[in-house]
Amino acid sequence: MTKNTNQTFSHVDRDGLEARFGVRVASMLGERAQATAPDISERLRFAREQALTRAQAARRQVQAADAPIVVSRGRIAALANPLGWWFKLGSAAPLALLVLGLAGIAHVHDKAQIAAVAEVDAALLSDALPPAAYTDPGFAEYLKTDRE
Amino acid sequence: MATDKELSDFLKSVEKRAFKRTAFAVRDDDSALDIVQDSMIRLAEKYVDRPAAELPLLFQRILSNATMDWFRRQKVRNAVVHNFSDFGGSGDEDGDFDILEMLDGIEGNVGTESASDSVSRDQILLLIEREVGELPARQREAFLLRYWEELDVAETASVMGCSEGSVKTHCSRAVHALAKALKAKGIAP
Repeated sequence: MTKNTNQTFSHVDRDGLEARFGVRVASMLGERAQATAPDISERLRFAREQALTRAQAARRQVQAADAPIVVSRGRIAALANPLGWWFKLGSAAPLALLVLGLAGIAHVHDKAQIAAVAEVDAALLSDALPPAAYTDPGFAEYLKTDRE
Repeated sequence: MATDKELSDFLKSVEKRAFKRTAFAVRDDDSALDIVQDSMIRLAEKYVDRPAAELPLLFQRILSNATMDWFRRQKVRNAVVHNFSDFGGSGDEDGDFDILEMLDGIEGNVGTESASDSVSRDQILLLIEREVGELPARQREAFLLRYWEELDVAETASVMGCSEGSVKTHCSRAVHALAKALKAKGIAP
């Protein structure tokens, strides 16, 4: 082919020629790639099997996440989505019970403390000795020496 | 969603080309095998819910990304810089080179191989493989994706993360470089 012929070639023709050349070279590369060494073929087969095993595991996970689960409460059993209303309620109920229990314990404890303080107050007030006596240093000294 | 058989058939059909393509890039068979295996597993785990028709493009993207990750991990910065900047000298130099001569050779050689040529044919295939391996990385990637993996220009651009115009330029330069190199060795594919 001459240079003049080359110049008159359109881009489309040139693209087509390049594509034909490319496909031809690629087909020869493919021919060579098929003659891969046995150890490499074996490793590729192993890699493929690993990938398939992982795909099966991933598929099982997806199916497990999508599948409905059975929520049983007493004699009532129902199918529910894990993210459904029942599932959320079931998850929140123990937490709510725990909070209520802690609040109850705190309330009972406060009441017991108040009762104990009231009992001490009542004992002090009903005693013959006035409460102010316990703040008197002389009386405190008297109590000390009395014990000794 | 692709079935196990579809996935297996797809991986089987693509594995050797994927290995070769990666080996061209990283120039180490063991690393290429690791990259291909990682890519297969990534495809299987992350895209198992995709239809079978989407697998080829997804796999090529994953493989390209995995190869780039390998380069990053290896910190072979010089190699990457070389691969991405080696476009110089491939423009006007091709002016005197006529791809049509090579294509005439193609047409002339089709169907003319005899049994006695088989040994030399093996050598020719080896030489062609070497010449493809010698191409700059981006040109080689564009060439292999377009003509070996048979992706269209848009898909190739998507995998390579560049414009369609760049893909055409890379492919054209790769074809001319290959044709010139093969002609210099007296080979008409």
